[in-house]
Amino acid sequence: MSLEIDHVTKRFGATTALDGLVFEVAAGEVFGFLGANGAGKTTTMRICLGIIRADAGEIRWDGRPAGELPRRTWGYLPEERGLYPRMAVLDQLVYFGSLYGEPPDRARREALAWLTRFRILDYAGRRAEELSKGNQQKVQFIAAVLHGPEVLLMDEPFTGLDPLNLVLLREAFVELRDRGRTLIFSTHQMETAEAMCESVAIVDHGRLVAGGRLRDLKRASGRRTLRLALEGDPAPAWLAEIPGVEALRRDAAGSELELLPDTIPGSILAAVLERGLSVTRFEVVEPSLEALFIEHVGRPADDAITLTADAAAPSLHVGGVA
Amino acid sequence: MAGRDPLFPNAGIVARREYRDRVRSPLFVASTVILMGLAMLVALAPIAIRYLDRQTVTRIAVVSSEAALAASAVSSVDSLLNRPPTGSGDTGWQKPFAIEATDDPARAEADLRRGALGGIMIMDRLPSGQIDVTFRTNGTPDAVRSQLIGFAAIAVSIYDWTASRTIDSGRAFQAPAYRVDGINAATEGGVALNAQQSASRSFLGIVFVVLLFITVVIYGMWVATGVASEKSSRVMELMISAASPRQMLTGKVVGIGAAGLTQYVAIAAPALILIAFQDRIAAAVLGPSWAEGAPLVGLSPALLAGYGVFFLLGFVLFALIYAAMGSFVSRPDDLQTLSLPLSLVAMVGYLTAIVALGGAGGGWVTVASFTPPFSPFVMLARLMVSAVEPWELVVSIGLLVAAIAVVAVIATRMYAAGVLLYGQRPGLRAFIAAARRA
Repeated sequence: MSLEIDHVTKRFGATTALDGLVFEVAAGEVFGFLGANGAGKTTTMRICLGIIRADAGEIRWDGRPAGELPRRTWGYLPEERGLYPRMAVLDQLVYFGSLYGEPPDRARREALAWLTRFRILDYAGRRAEELSKGNQQKVQFIAAVLHGPEVLLMDEPFTGLDPLNLVLLREAFVELRDRGRTLIFSTHQMETAEAMCESVAIVDHGRLVAGGRLRDLKRASGRRTLRLALEGDPAPAWLAEIPGVEALRRDAAGSELELLPDTIPGSILAAVLERGLSVTRFEVVEPSLEALFIEHVGRPADDAITLTADAAAPSLHVGGVA
Repeated sequence: MAGRDPLFPNAGIVARREYRDRVRSPLFVASTVILMGLAMLVALAPIAIRYLDRQTVTRIAVVSSEAALAASAVSSVDSLLNRPPTGSGDTGWQKPFAIEATDDPARAEADLRRGALGGIMIMDRLPSGQIDVTFRTNGTPDAVRSQLIGFAAIAVSIYDWTASRTIDSGRAFQAPAYRVDGINAATEGGVALNAQQSASRSFLGIVFVVLLFITVVIYGMWVATGVASEKSSRVMELMISAASPRQMLTGKVVGIGAAGLTQYVAIAAPALILIAFQDRIAAAVLGPSWAEGAPLVGLSPALLAGYGVFFLLGFVLFALIYAAMGSFVSRPDDLQTLSLPLSLVAMVGYLTAIVALGGAGGGWVTVASFTPPFSPFVMLARLMVSAVEPWELVVSIGLLVAAIAVVAVIATRMYAAGVLLYGQRPGLRAFIAAARRA
């Protein structure tokens, strides 16, 4: 079982939002859908939900076209946060649950359970407009998951959350995944995506530029980072002159050296030891997701971009456990 | 997506929320109470008018080629129309009618048409000696007044017979020929309505058309504002994933329509009760002679059903368009720009209906009574004051239903496109472009 985004194209006038986008998400995994603003993430989610139609291509879940599936297959947390301002929190959760076909009693029970879990049970009878933005966001998340959807689509779910609520939401993600739900979310927060996701798709200009299991992507990049700290002078400038080092970042705790693909880390250690220095940290790590993103897209994820329509459609097939 | 998104139960769930949201709001309760009070005042207005009316004097002219007949008629009519209310005594009471003979029929006719005269009593003697009396009045004749003038005609004839009779003449008494001629009077099926029915129909026709106009404009704006508010609060983003545009649109129109109907009934019921008892109230407050008959006498179940049908269909047609408009603005404040043209369209229908209620027919009135969106107003007005053939009613309702079906498809498409548009200036071009790419 999987979600297949199969050569989906969508144009808005002269602007191409999706340009033959292809990727696959295995059922039961947490999937990061990454891209800069305007890359096509929201459009893809809206096509999944049947809110807008693709010009070409198809989205399937478990082999069936998305448009033929019951709405309750999906849960959706939109990027634009909003609730009925004057309606009580519990009432609107029951309302949304009912629209997804949940009997009111069960919707109420589920809503109360989630409100308790998110530590906002006291707000059940309050109007939404009386809640802080973070708490409203949690209510919206509950509205998206209340009916137990098979696939949960979330557009920037972590934006605006304080660290405590971030932890609560992450824990909810893990629990939902353990229940067999498929979670797909977009985010600009690469560290969060790296911590949560088993697989990712990186999109740019409506096309897939990289995708698959995160571990495989890192290995395939061939890039490695060496974290090194020396006693006395944790981050000396001369490290950049060692053969095989591509770039050097230094701070008070030590240095991060980007290694060229053919460089053997032991040669760096040997060079240090030759100088008679004492090593307090020596760690070879794979590249970060942010580094991968910049490598493939050419800029950080939170840089605003303008869509253009000049790109050719790729035919990458990534990730996916059928 | 209609297959995976059946209209119900979601349309019902949306409708219930919309209904509750409105009827529970303090603004709804306050406006209902205020409007209810205003409606009751309007219902009592005729009594106030009657009160003011008793301070004014209505002139009635008597025209006759025979001075004796004219003098006799003035005396008879004066004694019959100017009777003090029972128990009022003479204190402070003044004659409500001034009866005067005139020898200038043309001038009297002109005065009648411009409203300076309340009526003209024309008396002629036929070759057979019988007296011929015509009472001409402007608009539909007042039943009580016409009857009293008829009594006066009989009295004049009796005076005339007794004055001309000698013991040996043996001429038998001939009752006068008497008819009432209401100029500009309404008819139904070629037959004039009786005075009370006609007055009642005109009154109720105005009430119904005004209510329909208010319903369309005010409750239509409720629908548009409801949609725009969902967009401005961004809750639309959650809604569009939970329910289809068709479900949401139907739910909104039904829910808000039901809330409007609730307010409508709350306002209209007490006012209608007051109207039904208007005569008794007038009699109790002003005296028995001021009772003029129940104002609802012209109302029939068929007319009420007709009003219900045009009310429902008219509201649905306009509400669908208002909903589509509401989906194209990002804030409720922007609605004024878009709603003005639609309000003007409703105003055209309303004004045409008022013209139709005045008795005018043919031409534009006939065309408008078949043409949506004007037909709910104009056909309703025609129903109230004139004869409408069954086929005309069927065609008018059929065209209206067909228009609703077409508008529903277009409105759903526009709604689906419009709810996703944020930050764009509302305009026809954006409207059409978004509907195309939805």
